[in-house]
This record gives sequence, structure tokens and C-alpha cells, in this order.
Amino acid sequence: MSRQLRNRLFLLVSSGAVLLCTAILLFLFSVITWNGINALSPSFLLTASRSFGAEGGIFYQILGSLLMVLTAALICLPLALGAAIYKSEYLKNARLQKASAILIYGLNGIPSVIFGIFGLILFVNILNTGISWFVGAIILAIMMLPTVVLATFQAMNSIPEIYRESARALGLNHWQVVTGVLLPQGFAGAITGLLLGLARAIGETAPIMFIATAFSGIEIPHALNEPVTALPTHILALAQQATDPRALQNAWGASFVLIGLVTLFSITGLISRTKFKTVSQR
Amino acid sequence: MNATAPLKIYQPEATSAIEMRDFNAWFAEAHILRDIRLSFRENRITCLVGPSGSGKSTLIRSINRINDDVGNYNCSGEIRLSNQNILASGNDVAKLRTRVGMVFQKPCVFPTTIAGNVLFGIRHLQKLSRPEKQTIVEENLKAAALWKEVKHRLQDKASSLSLGQQQRLCIARTLAVKPEIILFDEPTASLDPLSSRAIEDLMLSLKEKYTIVFVSHNIQQARRVADDLAFLCAGKLIEYGSSQQLFSNPTQEKTRKYLNEEFCDC
Ligand SMILES: Nc1ncnc2c1ncn2[C@@H]1O[C@H](COP(=O)(O)OP(=O)(O)OP(=O)(O)O)[C@@H](O)[C@H]1O
Ligand SMILES: [Mg+2]
Repeated sequence: MSRQLRNRLFLLVSSGAVLLCTAILLFLFSVITWNGINALSPSFLLTASRSFGAEGGIFYQILGSLLMVLTAALICLPLALGAAIYKSEYLKNARLQKASAILIYGLNGIPSVIFGIFGLILFVNILNTGISWFVGAIILAIMMLPTVVLATFQAMNSIPEIYRESARALGLNHWQVVTGVLLPQGFAGAITGLLLGLARAIGETAPIMFIATAFSGIEIPHALNEPVTALPTHILALAQQATDPRALQNAWGASFVLIGLVTLFSITGLISRTKFKTVSQR
Repeated sequence: MNATAPLKIYQPEATSAIEMRDFNAWFAEAHILRDIRLSFRENRITCLVGPSGSGKSTLIRSINRINDDVGNYNCSGEIRLSNQNILASGNDVAKLRTRVGMVFQKPCVFPTTIAGNVLFGIRHLQKLSRPEKQTIVEENLKAAALWKEVKHRLQDKASSLSLGQQQRLCIARTLAVKPEIILFDEPTASLDPLSSRAIEDLMLSLKEKYTIVFVSHNIQQARRVADDLAFLCAGKLIEYGSSQQLFSNPTQEKTRKYLNEEFCDC
């Protein structure tokens, strides 16, 4: 095969792959938009659900989902910063570095239902917390952790050595270099990681359905150990009564809102990545 | 003259700020610096010259012990600052670096404002009130000959400055820490000729208050600014003396060749 032909073929295959991915994504988006947009109205967004979701809106589901993922983000942030600082500054042994990478990628690869079962056993059965939104937030925080740690670590690791050296040359000790040079940059990475993590966490059903959510009659929780309702579990419940056209309609509507939130978090995450023009880009 | 001829030890008349005695340095197994004996005079500019890889950076970076953090680095011998061996174990390196400042080859400003960069080191060392901060920013930017150019834009991003200005900003933040000695490792290597001249003039004005050690690849630059000259080749100190003497009457053939920019193999 001539070199030119090979180049052409490669271009064809790779652009074909891009097209296919884009097409699948667009198809999904348009189906959900097409079906969901009819259900959308101010009252759908701002009223509580009735008749197991077949009537009314999804106000408390949106609120519950946001409450859980934002709390998860707050729990996740300090843990991720700490872990990333440790990995970048104190874990000098090459073998331990590798082990930590395997651990992080491993954690990332665990199926989400396992997190749900783990939460159920540890919190609900052993620690007797009951069904609690806060436990859901903890589990989601653990799920997001690898994404956020890696984003933070990469941001810190991309700081050229000369910045640490310049700071040390000014008389800063190790810890001051960490807080003065690494943390500001790591924080920018952590925010990006958090937004991407949030985009994933808000759509997760399996980890929260056993431990954090109830299906109906729930409004705003007043204590840590109360359940909430959330968008993904609500969609699941609605899908199970799909024979009722009103329930189906609302399921599409809720899916549309969920996809909207995921997109919002993802795009803000990507924007934040370009926005925090940190030292590595110079 | 052959290379093994005994080195004439240069006895400076001014007090020396730094004395290196039998200093050796290694990166892993590689013996980078061999038995260096050198003293740097107070309030003078000493310029280290020598071919690439001869160990100039390694030497200068040993004086503020910034090499300590590089893996595989090892050294022996003494480096004395006001009669204390800074290599002694238990010595506070962070404190040493406030006495011995350093300016690097590539200007490296922190991603903050111009004023923030001036304060970057000093604010970690002591608590500063607002007016104190303003004074420090103004004084040190003036000392680094940058004040006139930036006084109306102190809150701008430091990265918006030209490279030459950034390098002077790096000097300003080094001065803010109030060192006694400033090390410059090829500070003009990434700058245009005009900005380089500005840095040279700045060094000349700084020597009134500071002892300056300076690495340069540029022999004409060394001729312009150095009081003393040390010629390093393959990790050995070949010759050391006043700049005038080395340029006009070097005792070593290698030195003469190098300073005349002729080919010199070490
Ligand atoms: N971190 C390091 N690890 C291993 N070897 C090193 C390291 N840094 C420098 N060296 C070696 O030490 C020797 C001296 O290097 P050094 O940077 O001091 O030379 P230099 O005189 O400053 O050269 P240049 O003029 O090119 O800057 C070189 O052979 C170099 O390869
Ligand atoms: Mg060098």
C-alpha cells in the first residue's frame, strides 16, 4: 500500500470514528430534547410531584439532587487537595507512586452499584444511619474522588520545577511552597475536576437508590439522616410505570432536565479549565 | 603552561563574603566539581565563566543549597558565610536562602500581580501591614529600576510585562527579602541586548549594597561588569583573579584561549 493511500485511509477511519461519536451524542440529545421539551414548563420545574410522579413537577427532585452533589463536592474538595498534595510532594518512592496510581484508577473503575451496596452495608446496616441524603453525599464524594484527585494532581504536577525553585530561593520552606505555589494551581485543577465529577455524580442512580433516596412524599430534609428525592431515581421510578403516558411524559421531562444539568456542569468544567490560565500554559 | 601546574591562590584584599574550601560536588557517580577553593569578595561582582557543562550552575546553586533538593546531588567540603559553614548539618536552609538570594536564567514570575510578586517571598517571612507592603513594593521596584515603568499598573498581572521587565521584577522580589548576597545564573541569557544591558547596569548599581556572584556565557558581558573572574573548566577551577588581570595577563593558557573566545578543550 502506498504511503499516500495509507494516510488517506487513516484519515478516513479516524474521521469516521469522530462522526459516529458525534452522531450518537447528537441523536441522544435530540431524542431527549424532542420528547422532554413538551413536558417542560415553569410549573413542572417548580412544583412537587404527585401521584408517584405521574402528575405535578420535579421541584424537590432537582433540589434533592443538587443538595446531594453539592454536599458531595464540599466533602470531596479537601480530601482531593490533601491526597493530591501528598501524592505530588511526599510520595517520592517510585513504587508507591505507581501503587497510588493503580489505587486511584482502580477506585475510578469500580461499578457504581458496588458503591451503593457498600454504602448500604456500612452506613445503613452497620452504622445504622437509616436512609440518609448525607450518606448519599458521602458515597458520591468517594465516587468523585479519583477524578478530582487526578485533575488536582495533574494541575500541580504541570507546574514547572522552576516555580518551586524560585519560591524556595526566596526562603520559603517546604510547606510554604506547597501552600503558596502548589495549592493555588491545584485548586484551579480541583475545581475543574469537581465540575466534571459533579456532571457524573448527578446522574448516578445505583449508588444512591438504596441509601439516600425515597420515591415519593419527600420534600426538603431537615436533618442529616433524612432521605431526599433525586432526579435519577425519580426517572427510574417513572420509567417503571411507563404504561401511563403521563408518567412517561414526565420521565422524558425529568431526563431532559438531568441532561441539562450534566451539560451545564461539564461545560462549566471545561470553561474553567481554559479560564484558569495557570503557569503551565506559559 | 601545562594543566597540572599548581594553581596560584588569589588573595583578595577586601573581606570575603563567601569562602569555598575544598568543595566537591557529585550528581550520582559523576564528579562535577573538584576541590574548589574560591572566595568571593564583599560588594564585588564575581563572574564565573567557563564552557557549557563545566559546573558553573552547580557551583552557584551550591551557595544557596538549592541543589540539595535535586535528586542524586551530593557535596563535601566547606562553604563559609560570615565564618559559618553553611553545609553543616542542622543548618536552616530556608533561612540561608533569605541571606543568599538567587535570580535564574529564565524570568519566572508567579501568576499574580506585579505587587504580589514583589511581596511573594517577604510576606511568608513576616507579617506586613498595608502601608509596609506599599513601601516594600515601591522601594524594591525602585532598587530594581522598574518603578517608573510599572508604578501605575502595580495590580496588573506580572505576566503582562516584557521578559526584561519580568527579570527585573524577579530581582525586585529577591531584594525584598533583604539578602546579603545575590546569585545570578545567566540572568540575561533569555533577554534581548537592550534588556540585558539594563540588567548589567542594575547589577553594577546593586554591588554597593550586595555581594554578587554571576554566571555568564558572554565574555564581553563579563568584561563589562565583573570585578573578579573565576574560570571553570570540566569541574576544576582553572584560574581566579581580578577581571583586569585575567583579561590582560592570564597565567594559564586555557584561560587566555577561553577569554579570547578561541577553541579551548578542557
Ligand atoms: N540534575 C542533574 N543530574 C545529573 N547531572 C547533572 C544535573 N545537573 C547538572 N548535571 C551535570 O553536571 C555537569 C555540570 O552542569 P552545570 O549545569 O553545572 O554546567 P554549567 O557550567 O552551568 O553549564 P551551562 O553553561 O550549559 O549552563 C554537566 O555535565 C551536567 O550534565
Ligand atoms: Mg548553567
